[in-house]
Amino acid sequence: MALETISDGRGTTVTPPRTPVVPRRRRRAWGVTAAVSAIAAVLNLPLFFALLTSFKSDADIARSALRVPDTLTLEHYANAMGQAGYDFPRYFLNSTLISIGTVVTILVICVPGAYAMGRLGLGRGHLLKGIAALRLIPVIFFAVPFFLLFSRTGLYDTIPGMVTANTFISLPLGTLLVMSAIREVPHEIEEAAKLDGCSDYRIVARIVLPLLAPTLAAVAVLVFITAWSDYLFAVILTSSEATPVTVGAANFVTSTGIRWGDISATTVLSVLPPLVFALFAQRYLVRGLSAGAIKG
Amino acid sequence: MSQLVRPNRASRSRWVLGAPLLIFLAAVVLFPLGYGLFVAGQDRSLLNPDPSWIGLDNIAAVVQDSSFWRAVRFTVIYTVVVTSVELILGFLLALLFNRRFPGKRLLLSLTILPVMIAPALMGIMFRLLLNQDIGLVPSVLSVFGWEISLFGTDAVVPMLLLLDVLQWTPFAFLLFYAGMQSVPDELYEAASIDGSGYWRSALAITVPLLLPVAVVTAFLRGVDAFRTFDVVYVLTGGGPGDYTTNVSIYIYKAFSSGNFGIAAAASVVVCLILLPVVPVVVRRLADPARS
Repeated sequence: MALETISDGRGTTVTPPRTPVVPRRRRRAWGVTAAVSAIAAVLNLPLFFALLTSFKSDADIARSALRVPDTLTLEHYANAMGQAGYDFPRYFLNSTLISIGTVVTILVICVPGAYAMGRLGLGRGHLLKGIAALRLIPVIFFAVPFFLLFSRTGLYDTIPGMVTANTFISLPLGTLLVMSAIREVPHEIEEAAKLDGCSDYRIVARIVLPLLAPTLAAVAVLVFITAWSDYLFAVILTSSEATPVTVGAANFVTSTGIRWGDISATTVLSVLPPLVFALFAQRYLVRGLSAGAIKG
Repeated sequence: MSQLVRPNRASRSRWVLGAPLLIFLAAVVLFPLGYGLFVAGQDRSLLNPDPSWIGLDNIAAVVQDSSFWRAVRFTVIYTVVVTSVELILGFLLALLFNRRFPGKRLLLSLTILPVMIAPALMGIMFRLLLNQDIGLVPSVLSVFGWEISLFGTDAVVPMLLLLDVLQWTPFAFLLFYAGMQSVPDELYEAASIDGSGYWRSALAITVPLLLPVAVVTAFLRGVDAFRTFDVVYVLTGGGPGDYTTNVSIYIYKAFSSGNFGIAAAASVVVCLILLPVVPVVVRRLADPARS
Protein backbone atom coordinates (compact mmCIF):
# COMPACT_ATOMS: atom_id res chain seq x y z
CA MET A 1 0.00 0.00 0.00
CA ALA A 2 2.94 2.31 -0.06
CA LEU A 3 2.98 2.88 -3.77
CA GLU A 4 -0.55 3.94 -4.50
CA THR A 5 0.02 7.67 -4.76
CA ILE A 6 2.61 9.10 -7.07
CA SER A 7 1.55 12.71 -7.28
CA ASP A 8 4.34 15.17 -6.60
CA GLY A 9 3.56 16.46 -3.18
CA ARG A 10 0.75 18.86 -4.08
CA GLY A 11 -1.93 16.37 -5.05
CA THR A 12 -4.38 15.03 -2.57
CA THR A 13 -3.84 11.61 -1.16
CA VAL A 14 -5.83 8.80 -2.70
CA THR A 15 -5.73 6.39 0.21
CA PRO A 16 -8.76 6.24 2.48
CA PRO A 17 -7.29 7.17 5.89
CA ARG A 18 -7.43 4.30 8.32
CA THR A 19 -6.90 5.87 11.70
CA PRO A 20 -4.51 3.46 13.40
CA VAL A 21 -2.15 3.38 10.42
CA VAL A 22 -1.78 7.11 9.83
CA PRO A 23 0.93 7.97 12.40
CA ARG A 24 3.15 5.13 11.22
CA ARG A 25 2.69 6.09 7.59
CA ARG A 26 3.51 9.72 8.31
CA ARG A 27 6.61 8.76 10.25
CA ARG A 28 7.68 6.58 7.36
CA ALA A 29 7.13 9.46 4.90
CA TRP A 30 9.47 11.64 6.97
CA GLY A 31 11.92 8.78 6.98
CA VAL A 32 11.92 8.90 3.17
CA THR A 33 12.51 12.66 3.32
CA ALA A 34 15.51 12.10 5.57
CA ALA A 35 16.95 9.37 3.37
CA VAL A 36 16.47 11.34 0.15
CA SER A 37 17.93 14.49 1.77
CA ALA A 38 21.04 12.56 2.75
CA ILE A 39 21.42 11.23 -0.81
CA ALA A 40 20.87 14.68 -2.34
CA ALA A 41 23.47 16.12 0.05
CA VAL A 42 26.08 13.57 -1.01
CA LEU A 43 25.31 14.11 -4.71
CA ASN A 44 25.72 17.87 -4.34
CA LEU A 45 28.73 17.77 -2.03
CA PRO A 46 31.18 18.99 -4.74
CA LEU A 47 29.00 22.01 -5.49
CA PHE A 48 28.42 22.82 -1.80
CA PHE A 49 32.13 22.63 -1.05
CA ALA A 50 33.03 24.82 -4.05
CA LEU A 51 30.36 27.32 -2.97
CA LEU A 52 31.74 27.36 0.57
CA THR A 53 35.34 27.70 -0.62
CA SER A 54 34.43 30.58 -2.93
CA PHE A 55 33.37 32.68 0.09
CA LYS A 56 36.36 31.79 2.29
CA SER A 57 39.43 33.98 2.56
CA ASP A 58 42.70 32.56 1.22
CA ALA A 59 43.95 32.12 4.79
CA ASP A 60 40.88 30.09 5.74
CA ILE A 61 41.13 27.96 2.60
CA ALA A 62 44.74 27.09 3.45
CA ARG A 63 43.70 25.85 6.91
CA SER A 64 41.78 22.61 7.39
CA ALA A 65 38.66 22.14 5.32
CA LEU A 66 36.78 21.10 8.43
CA ARG A 67 37.40 24.35 10.32
CA VAL A 68 34.61 26.93 10.43
CA PRO A 69 35.90 30.04 8.62
CA ASP A 70 36.51 33.25 10.60
CA THR A 71 35.19 35.57 7.92
CA LEU A 72 33.40 35.34 4.64
CA THR A 73 34.52 37.38 1.65
CA LEU A 74 33.36 38.36 -1.81
CA GLU A 75 36.95 38.98 -2.90
CA HIS A 76 37.10 35.87 -5.09
CA TYR A 77 34.00 36.91 -7.00
CA ALA A 78 35.49 40.35 -7.57
CA ASN A 79 38.65 38.64 -8.86
CA ALA A 80 36.60 36.38 -11.10
CA MET A 81 34.75 39.34 -12.55
CA GLY A 82 38.00 40.78 -13.84
CA GLN A 83 39.88 42.40 -10.95
CA ALA A 84 42.69 39.87 -11.00
CA GLY A 85 43.24 40.19 -14.72
CA TYR A 86 41.40 37.01 -15.62
CA ASP A 87 39.46 37.08 -18.86
CA PHE A 88 36.56 35.31 -17.20
CA PRO A 89 33.81 37.79 -18.23
CA ARG A 90 34.85 37.16 -21.82
CA TYR A 91 34.70 33.36 -21.42
CA PHE A 92 31.28 33.76 -19.88
CA LEU A 93 30.08 35.85 -22.80
CA ASN A 94 31.53 33.31 -25.24
CA SER A 95 29.70 30.44 -23.52
CA THR A 96 26.46 32.41 -23.64
CA LEU A 97 26.82 33.24 -27.34
CA ILE A 98 27.83 29.68 -28.24
CA SER A 99 24.95 28.11 -26.28
CA ILE A 100 22.26 30.47 -27.58
CA GLY A 101 23.63 30.23 -31.12
CA THR A 102 23.53 26.43 -30.92
CA VAL A 103 19.93 26.39 -29.66
CA VAL A 104 18.81 28.66 -32.52
CA THR A 105 20.73 26.68 -35.16
CA ILE A 106 19.39 23.35 -33.89
CA LEU A 107 15.81 24.59 -34.01
CA VAL A 108 16.25 26.06 -37.51
CA ILE A 109 17.69 22.79 -38.79
CA CYS A 110 15.69 20.21 -36.86
CA VAL A 111 12.10 21.47 -37.03
CA PRO A 112 11.72 21.65 -40.83
CA GLY A 113 14.07 18.69 -41.25
CA ALA A 114 12.09 16.48 -38.87
CA TYR A 115 8.84 17.52 -40.55
CA ALA A 116 10.25 16.68 -43.96
CA MET A 117 11.37 13.27 -42.66
CA GLY A 118 8.31 12.51 -40.55
CA ARG A 119 5.53 13.74 -42.84
CA LEU A 120 6.91 14.23 -46.34
CA GLY A 121 8.93 11.04 -46.57
CA LEU A 122 12.39 12.58 -46.78
CA GLY A 123 15.02 9.84 -46.58
CA ARG A 124 12.42 7.07 -46.15
CA GLY A 125 13.53 6.37 -42.57
CA HIS A 126 17.15 5.70 -43.47
CA LEU A 127 18.14 9.30 -42.93
CA LEU A 128 16.70 9.26 -39.42
CA LYS A 129 18.56 6.05 -38.63
CA GLY A 130 21.78 7.60 -39.88
CA ILE A 131 21.27 10.60 -37.62
CA ALA A 132 20.52 8.33 -34.65
CA ALA A 133 23.73 6.42 -35.39
CA LEU A 134 25.67 9.67 -35.00
CA ARG A 135 24.82 9.49 -31.30
CA LEU A 136 27.17 6.50 -31.14
CA ILE A 137 30.28 7.90 -32.77
CA PRO A 138 32.70 9.17 -30.14
CA VAL A 139 32.89 12.95 -30.53
CA ILE A 140 36.67 12.68 -30.50
CA PHE A 141 36.46 11.03 -33.95
CA PHE A 142 35.66 14.45 -35.38
CA ALA A 143 38.48 16.17 -33.50
CA VAL A 144 41.08 15.74 -36.23
CA PRO A 145 38.93 16.55 -39.30
CA PHE A 146 37.22 19.49 -37.57
CA PHE A 147 40.55 20.92 -36.43
CA LEU A 148 42.12 20.64 -39.88
CA LEU A 149 39.04 21.89 -41.76
CA PHE A 150 38.26 24.70 -39.31
CA SER A 151 41.88 25.88 -39.46
CA ARG A 152 41.66 26.05 -43.23
CA THR A 153 38.26 27.76 -43.44
CA GLY A 154 38.87 30.37 -40.75
CA LEU A 155 36.32 28.84 -38.34
CA TYR A 156 39.05 27.92 -35.83
CA ASP A 157 38.74 29.85 -32.56
CA THR A 158 35.55 31.65 -33.62
CA ILE A 159 32.04 31.69 -32.15
CA PRO A 160 30.44 30.46 -35.44
CA GLY A 161 32.94 27.59 -35.46
CA MET A 162 31.99 26.58 -31.92
CA VAL A 163 28.28 26.91 -32.77
CA THR A 164 28.84 24.58 -35.74
CA ALA A 165 30.65 21.99 -33.62
CA ASN A 166 28.03 22.12 -30.87
CA THR A 167 25.19 21.89 -33.36
CA PHE A 168 26.85 18.71 -34.55
CA ILE A 169 26.86 17.32 -30.98
CA SER A 170 23.18 18.10 -30.36
CA LEU A 171 21.82 17.20 -33.80
CA PRO A 172 20.81 13.57 -33.00
CA LEU A 173 19.12 14.56 -29.73
CA GLY A 174 17.29 17.51 -31.31
CA THR A 175 16.13 15.58 -34.35
CA LEU A 176 14.92 12.56 -32.38
CA LEU A 177 12.99 14.71 -29.89
CA VAL A 178 11.31 16.87 -32.54
CA MET A 179 10.60 13.77 -34.58
CA SER A 180 8.82 12.00 -31.72
CA ALA A 181 6.68 15.09 -31.13
CA ILE A 182 5.75 15.44 -34.80
CA ARG A 183 4.60 11.82 -34.81
CA GLU A 184 2.09 12.75 -32.12
CA VAL A 185 0.52 15.62 -34.06
CA PRO A 186 -2.81 14.29 -35.37
CA HIS A 187 -2.82 13.84 -39.15
CA GLU A 188 -6.36 15.18 -39.41
CA ILE A 189 -5.36 18.75 -38.61
CA GLU A 190 -2.82 18.87 -41.40
CA GLU A 191 -5.16 17.17 -43.85
CA ALA A 192 -7.90 19.70 -43.13
CA ALA A 193 -5.44 22.52 -43.69
CA LYS A 194 -4.31 20.96 -46.96
CA LEU A 195 -7.90 20.72 -48.16
CA ASP A 196 -8.20 24.42 -47.43
CA GLY A 197 -5.26 24.98 -49.76
CA CYS A 198 -2.53 25.53 -47.17
CA SER A 199 1.02 24.96 -48.44
CA ASP A 200 3.37 22.65 -46.54
CA TYR A 201 5.37 25.67 -45.40
CA ARG A 202 2.30 27.36 -43.98
CA ILE A 203 1.30 24.14 -42.23
CA VAL A 204 4.69 23.91 -40.54
CA ALA A 205 4.74 27.57 -39.53
CA ARG A 206 1.12 28.02 -38.48
CA ILE A 207 -0.07 24.63 -37.30
CA VAL A 208 2.80 22.28 -36.43
CA LEU A 209 5.11 24.83 -34.82
CA PRO A 210 2.63 25.99 -32.14
CA LEU A 211 1.74 22.37 -31.34
CA LEU A 212 5.42 21.58 -30.89
CA ALA A 213 6.05 24.43 -28.44
CA PRO A 214 6.52 22.27 -25.30
CA THR A 215 8.91 19.95 -27.11
CA LEU A 216 10.85 22.86 -28.57
CA ALA A 217 11.20 24.26 -25.04
CA ALA A 218 12.56 20.89 -23.91
CA VAL A 219 14.97 20.80 -26.84
CA ALA A 220 16.12 24.34 -26.09
CA VAL A 221 16.86 23.53 -22.44
CA LEU A 222 18.71 20.31 -23.25
CA VAL A 223 20.70 21.81 -26.10
CA PHE A 224 21.62 24.86 -24.04
CA ILE A 225 22.95 22.66 -21.22
CA THR A 226 24.78 20.38 -23.66
CA ALA A 227 26.43 23.27 -25.48
CA TRP A 228 27.35 25.00 -22.22
CA SER A 229 28.91 21.73 -21.01
CA ASP A 230 31.08 21.10 -24.07
CA TYR A 231 34.74 20.76 -23.19
CA LEU A 232 36.32 18.54 -25.84
CA PHE A 233 35.59 20.74 -28.86
CA ALA A 234 36.43 23.83 -26.82
CA VAL A 235 39.87 22.37 -26.07
CA ILE A 236 40.47 21.40 -29.67
CA LEU A 237 38.85 24.24 -31.62
CA THR A 238 39.59 27.34 -29.53
CA SER A 239 42.76 29.01 -28.33
CA SER A 240 41.77 32.39 -26.90
CA GLU A 241 39.12 34.34 -28.81
CA ALA A 242 36.22 31.88 -28.53
CA THR A 243 37.19 30.05 -25.30
CA PRO A 244 34.12 29.14 -23.21
CA VAL A 245 33.93 28.82 -19.41
CA THR A 246 34.56 25.07 -19.28
CA VAL A 247 38.05 25.54 -20.67
CA GLY A 248 38.54 28.99 -19.16
CA ALA A 249 37.76 27.81 -15.63
CA ALA A 250 39.97 24.74 -16.06
CA ASN A 251 42.79 27.01 -17.23
CA PHE A 252 43.02 28.54 -13.78
CA VAL A 253 43.79 25.12 -12.36
CA THR A 254 46.90 24.62 -14.41
CA SER A 255 48.14 28.21 -14.50
CA THR A 256 50.96 29.05 -12.11
CA GLY A 257 49.95 29.06 -8.46
CA ILE A 258 46.55 27.45 -7.96
CA ARG A 259 44.27 30.07 -6.43
CA TRP A 260 41.49 27.81 -5.21
CA GLY A 261 39.28 30.65 -3.98
CA ASP A 262 39.21 32.32 -7.38
CA ILE A 263 38.76 29.00 -9.14
CA SER A 264 35.83 28.12 -6.88
CA ALA A 265 34.19 31.46 -7.60
CA THR A 266 34.61 31.11 -11.38
CA THR A 267 33.33 27.52 -11.25
CA VAL A 268 30.28 28.49 -9.22
CA LEU A 269 29.53 31.35 -11.63
CA SER A 270 30.04 28.99 -14.58
CA VAL A 271 27.58 26.34 -13.41
CA LEU A 272 24.95 28.93 -12.52
CA PRO A 273 23.31 29.72 -15.91
CA PRO A 274 22.44 26.13 -16.85
CA LEU A 275 21.26 25.47 -13.30
CA VAL A 276 18.99 28.50 -13.24
CA PHE A 277 17.76 27.77 -16.73
CA ALA A 278 17.10 24.12 -15.92
CA LEU A 279 15.41 24.75 -12.58
CA PHE A 280 12.97 27.22 -14.11
CA ALA A 281 12.33 24.83 -16.98
CA GLN A 282 12.57 21.59 -15.00
CA ARG A 283 9.24 20.41 -16.37
CA TYR A 284 10.63 20.62 -19.90
CA LEU A 285 13.93 19.06 -18.91
CA VAL A 286 12.23 16.00 -17.44
CA ARG A 287 9.93 15.79 -20.45
CA GLY A 288 12.84 16.12 -22.87
CA LEU A 289 15.07 13.56 -21.22
CA SER A 290 12.31 11.04 -20.73
CA ALA A 291 10.84 11.56 -24.21
CA GLY A 292 14.29 11.04 -25.64
CA ALA A 293 14.57 7.81 -23.74
CA ILE A 294 11.11 6.39 -23.81
CA LYS A 295 9.42 7.55 -26.97
CA GLY A 296 12.13 8.27 -29.41
CA MET B 1 -2.73 11.81 -46.60
CA SER B 2 -0.67 11.17 -49.69
CA GLN B 3 -3.79 11.14 -51.83
CA LEU B 4 -4.44 14.75 -51.01
CA VAL B 5 -1.03 15.94 -52.01
CA ARG B 6 -0.04 16.43 -55.58
CA PRO B 7 3.20 14.41 -55.80
CA ASN B 8 5.46 17.11 -57.22
CA ARG B 9 4.34 19.59 -54.59
CA ALA B 10 5.12 17.22 -51.74
CA SER B 11 8.46 16.28 -53.20
CA ARG B 12 9.50 19.89 -53.65
CA SER B 13 8.56 21.06 -50.16
CA ARG B 14 10.23 17.93 -48.80
CA TRP B 15 13.56 19.05 -50.23
CA VAL B 16 13.09 22.72 -49.32
CA LEU B 17 12.21 21.94 -45.70
CA GLY B 18 14.91 19.30 -45.49
CA ALA B 19 17.54 21.55 -47.05
CA PRO B 20 19.11 22.99 -43.87
CA LEU B 21 19.39 19.52 -42.37
CA LEU B 22 20.81 17.97 -45.54
CA ILE B 23 23.30 20.77 -46.12
CA PHE B 24 24.47 20.57 -42.52
CA LEU B 25 24.81 16.78 -42.68
CA ALA B 26 26.78 16.99 -45.91
CA ALA B 27 29.11 19.79 -44.84
CA VAL B 28 29.63 19.12 -41.12
CA VAL B 29 29.12 15.35 -40.85
CA LEU B 30 29.72 13.46 -44.09
CA PHE B 31 32.55 15.55 -45.48
CA PRO B 32 34.56 15.61 -42.19
CA LEU B 33 33.84 11.90 -41.77
CA GLY B 34 35.34 11.17 -45.18
CA TYR B 35 38.15 13.59 -44.55
CA GLY B 36 38.91 11.84 -41.24
CA LEU B 37 39.12 8.49 -43.04
CA PHE B 38 41.41 10.09 -45.62
CA VAL B 39 43.72 11.56 -42.95
CA ALA B 40 43.84 8.14 -41.24
CA GLY B 41 45.67 6.91 -44.34
CA GLN B 42 48.19 9.76 -44.37
CA ASP B 43 51.44 10.33 -42.49
CA ARG B 44 50.07 13.78 -41.61
CA SER B 45 51.48 15.48 -38.54
CA LEU B 46 52.21 18.96 -37.24
CA LEU B 47 55.81 18.56 -38.37
CA ASN B 48 54.95 17.13 -41.78
CA PRO B 49 53.39 19.88 -43.92
CA ASP B 50 53.43 17.75 -47.05
CA PRO B 51 51.71 14.49 -46.11
CA SER B 52 51.66 11.48 -48.37
CA TRP B 53 49.35 8.48 -48.57
CA ILE B 54 50.58 5.55 -46.50
CA GLY B 55 47.51 3.32 -46.63
CA LEU B 56 46.88 1.16 -43.58
CA ASP B 57 50.22 1.89 -41.85
CA ASN B 58 48.61 4.13 -39.21
CA ILE B 59 45.89 1.59 -38.50
CA ALA B 60 48.56 -1.10 -38.16
CA ALA B 61 50.59 1.11 -35.82
CA VAL B 62 47.55 1.69 -33.60
CA VAL B 63 46.49 -1.96 -33.55
CA GLN B 64 50.05 -2.99 -32.58
CA ASP B 65 50.30 -0.38 -29.82
CA SER B 66 49.78 -2.11 -26.48
CA SER B 67 48.85 1.16 -24.78
CA PHE B 68 45.94 1.53 -27.23
CA TRP B 69 44.54 -1.82 -26.09
CA ARG B 70 45.10 -0.87 -22.45
CA ALA B 71 43.00 2.24 -23.19
CA VAL B 72 40.29 0.09 -24.82
CA ARG B 73 40.33 -2.28 -21.86
CA PHE B 74 40.07 0.58 -19.35
CA THR B 75 37.24 2.16 -21.36
CA VAL B 76 35.24 -1.06 -21.58
CA ILE B 77 35.63 -1.82 -17.86
CA TYR B 78 34.75 1.78 -16.98
CA THR B 79 31.67 1.69 -19.22
CA VAL B 80 30.35 -1.63 -17.95
CA VAL B 81 30.93 -0.86 -14.26
CA VAL B 82 29.49 2.67 -14.16
CA THR B 83 26.53 1.82 -16.39
CA SER B 84 25.45 -1.15 -14.30
CA VAL B 85 25.99 0.58 -10.96
CA GLU B 86 24.15 3.70 -12.12
CA LEU B 87 21.23 1.66 -13.45
CA ILE B 88 20.82 -0.21 -10.17
CA LEU B 89 21.22 2.82 -7.92
CA GLY B 90 19.08 5.00 -10.20
CA PHE B 91 16.30 2.42 -10.13
CA LEU B 92 16.42 2.07 -6.33
CA LEU B 93 16.41 5.84 -5.93
CA ALA B 94 13.41 6.12 -8.25
CA LEU B 95 11.59 3.46 -6.17
CA LEU B 96 12.35 5.53 -3.07
CA PHE B 97 11.00 8.65 -4.78
CA ASN B 98 7.89 6.98 -6.14
CA ARG B 99 5.62 7.88 -3.22
CA ARG B 100 4.46 10.91 -1.30
CA PHE B 101 6.79 12.48 1.22
CA PRO B 102 7.35 15.99 2.57
CA GLY B 103 9.66 18.20 0.49
CA LYS B 104 9.52 15.97 -2.56
CA ARG B 105 9.46 18.74 -5.15
CA LEU B 106 12.56 20.50 -3.81
CA LEU B 107 14.44 17.24 -3.27
CA LEU B 108 13.70 16.15 -6.83
CA SER B 109 15.32 19.35 -8.12
CA LEU B 110 18.33 18.88 -5.85
CA THR B 111 18.75 15.23 -6.82
CA ILE B 112 18.89 15.88 -10.56
CA LEU B 113 21.14 18.97 -10.18
CA PRO B 114 24.42 17.14 -11.01
CA VAL B 115 23.07 16.22 -14.47
CA MET B 116 23.04 19.90 -15.42
CA ILE B 117 26.61 20.61 -14.37
CA ALA B 118 29.24 20.54 -17.11
CA PRO B 119 31.47 17.48 -16.51
CA ALA B 120 34.60 19.61 -16.92
CA LEU B 121 33.40 22.01 -14.20
CA MET B 122 32.37 19.02 -12.07
CA GLY B 123 35.93 17.78 -12.54
CA ILE B 124 37.33 21.03 -11.15
CA MET B 125 35.01 20.79 -8.16
CA PHE B 126 36.07 17.16 -7.62
CA ARG B 127 39.71 18.28 -7.69
CA LEU B 128 38.96 20.83 -5.00
CA LEU B 129 36.98 18.34 -2.92
CA LEU B 130 39.74 15.72 -3.16
CA ASN B 131 42.74 18.06 -2.88
CA GLN B 132 45.31 16.57 -0.53
CA ASP B 133 45.93 19.85 1.33
CA ILE B 134 42.66 21.76 1.35
CA GLY B 135 40.01 19.25 0.18
CA LEU B 136 37.14 18.07 2.34
CA VAL B 137 37.51 14.36 1.64
CA PRO B 138 41.20 13.97 2.60
CA SER B 139 40.54 16.06 5.72
CA VAL B 140 37.70 13.80 6.78
CA LEU B 141 39.70 10.67 5.94
CA SER B 142 42.64 11.87 8.02
CA VAL B 143 40.33 12.39 11.00
CA PHE B 144 39.74 8.64 10.80
CA GLY B 145 43.45 8.07 10.44
CA TRP B 146 43.34 7.17 6.73
CA GLU B 147 46.18 8.72 4.78
CA ILE B 148 45.68 7.50 1.21
CA SER B 149 46.71 9.20 -1.97
CA LEU B 150 43.48 9.42 -3.97
CA PHE B 151 45.34 9.97 -7.22
CA GLY B 152 47.81 7.11 -6.68
CA THR B 153 47.66 3.92 -8.70
CA ASP B 154 45.72 2.05 -6.01
CA ALA B 155 42.85 4.47 -5.57
CA VAL B 156 42.57 6.42 -8.81
CA VAL B 157 40.43 4.00 -10.85
CA PRO B 158 37.86 3.25 -8.13
CA MET B 159 37.79 6.99 -7.42
CA LEU B 160 37.00 7.84 -11.05
CA LEU B 161 34.29 5.18 -11.14
CA LEU B 162 32.78 6.58 -7.95
CA LEU B 163 32.79 10.13 -9.31
CA ASP B 164 31.05 9.04 -12.51
CA VAL B 165 28.42 7.27 -10.41
CA LEU B 166 28.03 10.40 -8.31
CA GLN B 167 27.32 12.61 -11.31
CA TRP B 168 25.27 10.29 -13.52
CA THR B 169 23.16 8.15 -11.17
CA PRO B 170 20.71 11.12 -11.13
CA PHE B 171 20.36 10.76 -14.92
CA ALA B 172 19.39 7.09 -14.65
CA PHE B 173 17.16 7.98 -11.70
CA LEU B 174 15.35 10.65 -13.72
CA LEU B 175 14.56 8.31 -16.61
CA PHE B 176 13.35 5.55 -14.27
CA TYR B 177 11.30 8.01 -12.25
CA ALA B 178 9.64 9.42 -15.37
CA GLY B 179 8.93 5.85 -16.47
CA MET B 180 7.37 4.95 -13.10
CA GLN B 181 5.02 7.92 -13.36
CA SER B 182 3.50 6.41 -16.47
CA VAL B 183 2.67 3.12 -14.74
CA PRO B 184 -1.08 3.25 -14.01
CA ASP B 185 -1.98 3.39 -10.31
CA GLU B 186 -4.68 0.79 -10.85
CA LEU B 187 -2.06 -1.93 -11.28
CA TYR B 188 -0.66 -1.30 -7.81
CA GLU B 189 -4.12 -0.97 -6.32
CA ALA B 190 -5.19 -4.27 -7.84
CA ALA B 191 -2.01 -5.91 -6.58
CA SER B 192 -2.46 -4.60 -3.06
CA ILE B 193 -6.09 -5.78 -3.00
CA ASP B 194 -4.73 -9.20 -3.93
CA GLY B 195 -2.48 -8.95 -0.87
CA SER B 196 0.75 -8.03 -2.61
CA GLY B 197 3.22 -6.14 -0.42
CA TYR B 198 5.44 -3.25 -1.40
CA TRP B 199 8.50 -5.20 -2.50
CA ARG B 200 6.41 -7.81 -4.24
CA SER B 201 4.61 -5.11 -6.21
CA ALA B 202 7.93 -3.51 -7.08
CA LEU B 203 9.34 -6.80 -8.33
CA ALA B 204 6.24 -8.07 -10.12
CA ILE B 205 4.93 -4.80 -11.62
CA THR B 206 7.55 -2.05 -11.68
CA VAL B 207 10.57 -4.04 -12.81
CA PRO B 208 8.99 -5.73 -15.87
CA LEU B 209 7.18 -2.57 -16.99
CA LEU B 210 10.35 -0.51 -16.76
CA LEU B 211 12.52 -3.00 -18.61
CA PRO B 212 12.34 -1.00 -21.89
CA VAL B 213 13.33 2.15 -19.98
CA ALA B 214 16.23 0.26 -18.44
CA VAL B 215 17.44 -0.86 -21.87
CA VAL B 216 17.37 2.66 -23.30
CA THR B 217 18.96 4.15 -20.19
CA ALA B 218 21.71 1.55 -20.39
CA PHE B 219 22.36 2.47 -24.02
CA LEU B 220 22.40 6.22 -23.38
CA ARG B 221 24.67 5.91 -20.35
CA GLY B 222 26.82 3.26 -22.00
CA VAL B 223 27.45 5.41 -25.07
CA ASP B 224 28.31 8.46 -22.97
CA ALA B 225 30.48 6.51 -20.53
CA PHE B 226 32.37 4.99 -23.46
CA ARG B 227 33.28 8.41 -24.80
CA THR B 228 33.99 10.05 -21.42
CA PHE B 229 36.70 12.64 -21.72
CA ASP B 230 36.13 15.78 -19.66
CA VAL B 231 36.11 14.59 -16.05
CA VAL B 232 38.94 12.11 -16.44
CA TYR B 233 41.07 14.54 -18.41
CA VAL B 234 40.55 17.40 -15.93
CA LEU B 235 41.23 15.12 -12.94
CA THR B 236 44.11 12.91 -14.05
CA GLY B 237 45.02 13.81 -17.64
CA GLY B 238 45.03 10.03 -18.24
CA GLY B 239 47.69 9.41 -15.60
CA PRO B 240 49.50 8.36 -13.53
CA GLY B 241 51.37 7.00 -16.56
CA ASP B 242 48.59 5.82 -18.83
CA TYR B 243 46.73 4.27 -15.92
CA THR B 244 43.48 6.13 -16.59
CA THR B 245 43.89 6.76 -20.31
CA ASN B 246 40.62 5.87 -22.02
CA VAL B 247 40.17 5.82 -25.80
CA SER B 248 39.12 9.47 -25.98
CA ILE B 249 42.21 10.55 -24.04
CA TYR B 250 44.41 8.23 -26.11
CA ILE B 251 43.18 9.88 -29.32
CA TYR B 252 43.46 13.33 -27.80
CA LYS B 253 47.06 12.67 -26.71
CA ALA B 254 47.96 11.62 -30.26
CA PHE B 255 46.17 14.69 -31.62
CA SER B 256 47.73 17.19 -29.22
CA SER B 257 51.22 15.85 -29.85
CA GLY B 258 50.59 16.59 -33.54
CA ASN B 259 50.18 13.02 -34.84
CA PHE B 260 47.00 13.70 -36.80
CA GLY B 261 47.28 10.54 -38.88
CA ILE B 262 47.59 8.31 -35.80
CA ALA B 263 44.75 10.12 -34.02
CA ALA B 264 42.45 9.69 -37.02
CA ALA B 265 43.45 6.03 -37.41
CA ALA B 266 42.77 5.35 -33.71
CA SER B 267 39.33 6.95 -34.15
CA VAL B 268 38.63 4.62 -37.06
CA VAL B 269 39.64 1.57 -35.01
CA VAL B 270 37.41 2.67 -32.13
CA CYS B 271 34.47 3.06 -34.53
CA LEU B 272 35.13 -0.41 -35.91
CA ILE B 273 35.05 -1.77 -32.36
CA LEU B 274 31.68 -0.05 -31.82
CA LEU B 275 30.24 -1.18 -35.15
CA PRO B 276 28.49 -4.36 -33.89
CA VAL B 277 26.29 -2.39 -31.47
CA VAL B 278 25.23 0.26 -34.01
CA PRO B 279 22.16 -1.54 -35.49
CA VAL B 280 20.78 -2.36 -32.03
CA VAL B 281 21.04 1.21 -30.79
CA VAL B 282 19.71 2.71 -34.01
CA ARG B 283 16.64 0.50 -33.89
CA ARG B 284 15.98 1.57 -30.30
CA LEU B 285 16.49 5.28 -30.86
CA ALA B 286 14.99 5.81 -34.31
CA ASP B 287 12.06 3.44 -34.27
CA PRO B 288 9.90 3.83 -31.17
CA ALA B 289 7.23 1.55 -32.59
CA ARG B 290 9.41 -1.48 -32.14
CA SER B 291 11.09 -0.61 -28.85
